Amino acid sequence: MGRSVIWGALALAILWSLTSADMGLEKLPGAGPRLTEFLGRMIPPDLSIWPEVLRGLAETLRIAILGTLFAVILSAGLAVLAAETLVPPAIWRPVRGLLAVIRSIPLILVAMLMVGAVGLGPLPGILAITFHATGMLAKFYSEAIDNVAAAPVAALESAGASRTQQLRWAIWPQMAPVILRDTVFRFELNLRESLILGIVGAGGIGLYVQTYVRSFQYDKAATVTLAIVGLVLLSEALNTALQKRFS
Amino acid sequence: MTAVIALDAVSHCFDGEAALTNLSLSVQPGESVALLGPSGAGKSTMLALLDGRLRGWQGQASVLGNQLSATRSPAREIRADIGFIFQEFALVDRLSVYQNVMNGRLGRMKSWPALWGRFGEQDHICVTRALQDTGLSDLAHRRADRLSGGQRQRVAIARCLAQDPELILADEPVSNLDPAHAERILGLITGAARSRGIGVIFSSHQPDLSRRFADRILGLRDGEILFDKRSGRVTSEDTDGLYHGASAATGLRVVS
Ligand SMILES: Nc1ncnc2c1ncn2[C@@H]1O[C@H](COP(=O)(O)OP(=O)(O)O)[C@@H](O)[C@H]1O
Ligand SMILES: [Mg+2]
Repeated sequence: MGRSVIWGALALAILWSLTSADMGLEKLPGAGPRLTEFLGRMIPPDLSIWPEVLRGLAETLRIAILGTLFAVILSAGLAVLAAETLVPPAIWRPVRGLLAVIRSIPLILVAMLMVGAVGLGPLPGILAITFHATGMLAKFYSEAIDNVAAAPVAALESAGASRTQQLRWAIWPQMAPVILRDTVFRFELNLRESLILGIVGAGGIGLYVQTYVRSFQYDKAATVTLAIVGLVLLSEALNTALQKRFS
Repeated sequence: MTAVIALDAVSHCFDGEAALTNLSLSVQPGESVALLGPSGAGKSTMLALLDGRLRGWQGQASVLGNQLSATRSPAREIRADIGFIFQEFALVDRLSVYQNVMNGRLGRMKSWPALWGRFGEQDHICVTRALQDTGLSDLAHRRADRLSGGQRQRVAIARCLAQDPELILADEPVSNLDPAHAERILGLITGAARSRGIGVIFSSHQPDLSRRFADRILGLRDGEILFDKRSGRVTSEDTDGLYHGASAATGLRVVS
């Protein structure tokens, strides 16, 4: 039964989207020439604004670094409370529920709330990234804790190792690669997501995208876009290189 | 001489099922004892009890002169004196062979320097010797999860030897080894019993090897001691009875 129902539902959903939404299809023919005109105005990019672009990139990078750092610190504590193997269900169940709720709130929404709370600038961006990333990192960390094999820990205990020695030489070696991999992965996401924070006034290079597109300075917007693409590609390459080491 | 192991009327149940029933036993320093018995006989349970890891058992048990508790682990110094070779090896997969063997030394060190990976000269000497004795010197820097089953078992044995224990408890220590390695390892741990006067108990499914290397054989079945004899006096009836049960053994004899 399952398959035909799924295909039927999919077909219905597509049909509904095509027919019910007022897509304004009639605007499509005019878009082509307009887009080529924009593209024409983007080329050549105005590279003279590079000091501003660099400053924006640097601020985005700082937001991502500090947001990740604070998220790591918060997650370390929350992960313990979310670990099935460390605390009773009465604790880890609600904590995991809370983390799921945190994950489900879009970053841009959190950023707008933070701007409302602390004003414009990089601080609301850092707070938003911290909050948003903690929902994911604390869950990942708690899974790393739960996946630690008990037998090697028991073997060290049996050989007379102290509790801290067991942590260092049986638990940590099992958790460290997982935690480092998850953290680097989350840092890359944080960097990507913080690129748009400036659009709502939460700091970083997003502000320039907003400014130049709104004021029709497409040659400058092009430069900012190039810088963003460069940064994303760079962080992706770094992530890939690092991931290979965590096995 | 005080016994390295003294059990008096020890019993244990898992969820109401008897796993050990009224065991009494005494092992002297320098003595090596083989524990024979079919799967489920209670060998692992008895060894875990002697290692101080079993909870909720009844009776009296003392190891190396220390009374064991059914509710708590022994103190760190006592745990360091009891070496255990695990049936499932229990290695830390992502660490090197060398560090896994070094882990056996942790109980002999101060807690703090070891956290930075700073180990003493004596510790390095013990690890190097244990690796040599188990034929692992060439694999010292290989990660533990890149080894064969037999190699992993030898790492588990080397970790126990590096610990320099007063008592060795070994749960099927040669089950994954080829005959040559099995003889070498059993020779090593029972030799340690004789030369250094420590106690050794190992469980095994190989009656012939056990008879050759152990001074004494303990036949365990359904959690009870069926026989407890000098190795030379154990007959094939003893071992047949152990694995096939009395009725099955006579049945076989009728057929032949
Ligand atoms: N953790 C456990 N929980 C419940 N039953 C167990 C547990 N460990 C062992 N048993 C039972 O106790 C009996 C003895 O097991 P074990 O000591 O492992 O035997 P052996 O090592 O001789 O094969 C078996 O019937 C086994 O099913
Ligand atoms: Mg067993």
